[in-house]
Amino acid sequence: MTFTSPFAASSAKAGHGSIELAILPPDTPVLRNISYQYPLKLVAPDGIPPPEGDDDNTPRLIHTVFLLTYGGGIVAGDSINLNVSLESKTRLVLLTQGSTKIFKTPDPTLVSRQHMSVHVAPNSALVYLPDPVQPFAQSAFSQSQIYHLEDGKGSLCVCDWVTSGRPARGENWDIHAYTSRNEVWTCSKDVKKRLLLRDNLILDKHGRTGMRLSERMDSYAVFGTLIIRGRVFQSLSQHFMDEFDALPRIGGRNWGDDVQVELSAKEHRRVKRQQQETADGLIWSAANVRGFVLVKFASREVEGSRHWLRDMLREEGSMLKSFGERAVLCLK
Amino acid sequence: MTTTDDQQSLKDEIADLEKRLHDAKSRLNPSLEPSTLVKDEALHALLLLSDSALPLGSFAFSSGLESYLAHHKPSPPSASQLPSFHTFLRLSLSTLASTALPYVLTGHRHPEDVETLDNDFDASTPCTVARRASIAQGRALLAVWDRSYKAQYTDSTSAATASLTAFSKALRTSDTLNAHLAPLWGLVTRVLCVPLHEAAYLFLFSHARTVVSAAVRASVMGPYQAQAVLSSAELKERIRGLVGEGWDVRVEDAGQSVPVMDLWVGRHEKLYSRIFNS
Repeated sequence: MTFTSPFAASSAKAGHGSIELAILPPDTPVLRNISYQYPLKLVAPDGIPPPEGDDDNTPRLIHTVFLLTYGGGIVAGDSINLNVSLESKTRLVLLTQGSTKIFKTPDPTLVSRQHMSVHVAPNSALVYLPDPVQPFAQSAFSQSQIYHLEDGKGSLCVCDWVTSGRPARGENWDIHAYTSRNEVWTCSKDVKKRLLLRDNLILDKHGRTGMRLSERMDSYAVFGTLIIRGRVFQSLSQHFMDEFDALPRIGGRNWGDDVQVELSAKEHRRVKRQQQETADGLIWSAANVRGFVLVKFASREVEGSRHWLRDMLREEGSMLKSFGERAVLCLK
Repeated sequence: MTTTDDQQSLKDEIADLEKRLHDAKSRLNPSLEPSTLVKDEALHALLLLSDSALPLGSFAFSSGLESYLAHHKPSPPSASQLPSFHTFLRLSLSTLASTALPYVLTGHRHPEDVETLDNDFDASTPCTVARRASIAQGRALLAVWDRSYKAQYTDSTSAATASLTAFSKALRTSDTLNAHLAPLWGLVTRVLCVPLHEAAYLFLFSHARTVVSAAVRASVMGPYQAQAVLSSAELKERIRGLVGEGWDVRVEDAGQSVPVMDLWVGRHEKLYSRIFNS
């Protein structure tokens, strides 16, 4: 006797996952689909209303999804593949719980992989502020985050950062290879898709520098890139550019002839932050290119970068207002 | 006395035989001459492009050296900055080979893709300072082509020449084209019949020369030391190795191998005093 299952055939593959954020008419954002397979795990707490709406496009609920892996890390040979899609007028926060640990591989050619493909509709926004990736000694890892913006609209604030390993165990960029790719494409129905931004980091033995990777890193233990684009994050982008402009000149001298002016509360906080940057050995730059604000930062220790990012986002405040405190959970 | 005469006549005979051998050879292989012609053509173009008088304005850029030195103040301040410079040169060449070299090679191999390459290179250049430097030199190269070389290379059947002419024309009206140096270097060397390997080698060598010349003007080293660096076996080996490593890298896989370089170059704008544009 033949029996036809009334259910669709299972399409689940190891490491595959999918998040679909859609609008339930008239205006309620819901997670229409959230699925995952070992070793990927997704945790989605209930959506919460934003503390403050900025305009008509602010959805009633902001959803958060935690990206986790079983065992708290990625083992050699693991491959994770996540698809995310955001419908118009939705907002999603993607987070992790602790750094993504990459365990050592028995063979440098056995590379663990993580791929995320995100489709962002106009008037939707994504915040992706994970903990840093922490590749242990003798690990080989390659990740890519590809964002497709429909008609080039939609808002993004995504961070990609990596650390030197486990400094407490004396690890200092002792990895076999680490590559991380961030790409933003604009796609429209009838036009060929076009590359808006590519940020590709390649740490491996190539380059003929004759130096160890740790030397190439100039004694920094963290490197990060923050990519900001779109209407929702406009004032945040501006904040990064303004603060970069306000950084003191490198090699400038204090001749003592500046009139000591009374600092406003904001200027006072800025000076405090800049002093903290110096103390943490943090350097950063911001650039306004092709409709993005692209921020690069590096510091001597992980906590330096974490505090700095948090201070910058908090000082400006718009993200916390429109996405809630949860958005910066990984920076605590 | 007779021995000297004998010796002389033998010498004459040898010279005569050699001349006849040479004549016979050249009659046997009539393609010998055109092949040297092609070689000379490529050599001539190579000499033009390697001339420091080529008006690309490269002297205005230090490719991050100035900022790097400001971030690595020697202690005591009177100590030599030479060791810092050597580290920087290595890192800078490595960065250029991983980010720009694939675009040079692809620009040379696929002249028809120049617009896409230009867009993708622009999308992959994360900071305004590096972008400004690359575009300034790319546009200058295009201007040299337009004003000086174009008249000499009128082979309208060549697809590469057609691409270059079309690109140069489109640049005047388009607001999406930028004219970055790397893809244009590949395309222009293709049009000038410079072989791929030489084009790639010269691209990296010119960069080394620009950085070294910036070091001379920043008082890091003297002009004789600079020539010693440029002629060193170490530099030759490095450039050769980098061309080899990058030979098969696709442009999609081009990327930053020295992440802190982006910070040094990006923070050039924050220097209190500066003599270079990058």
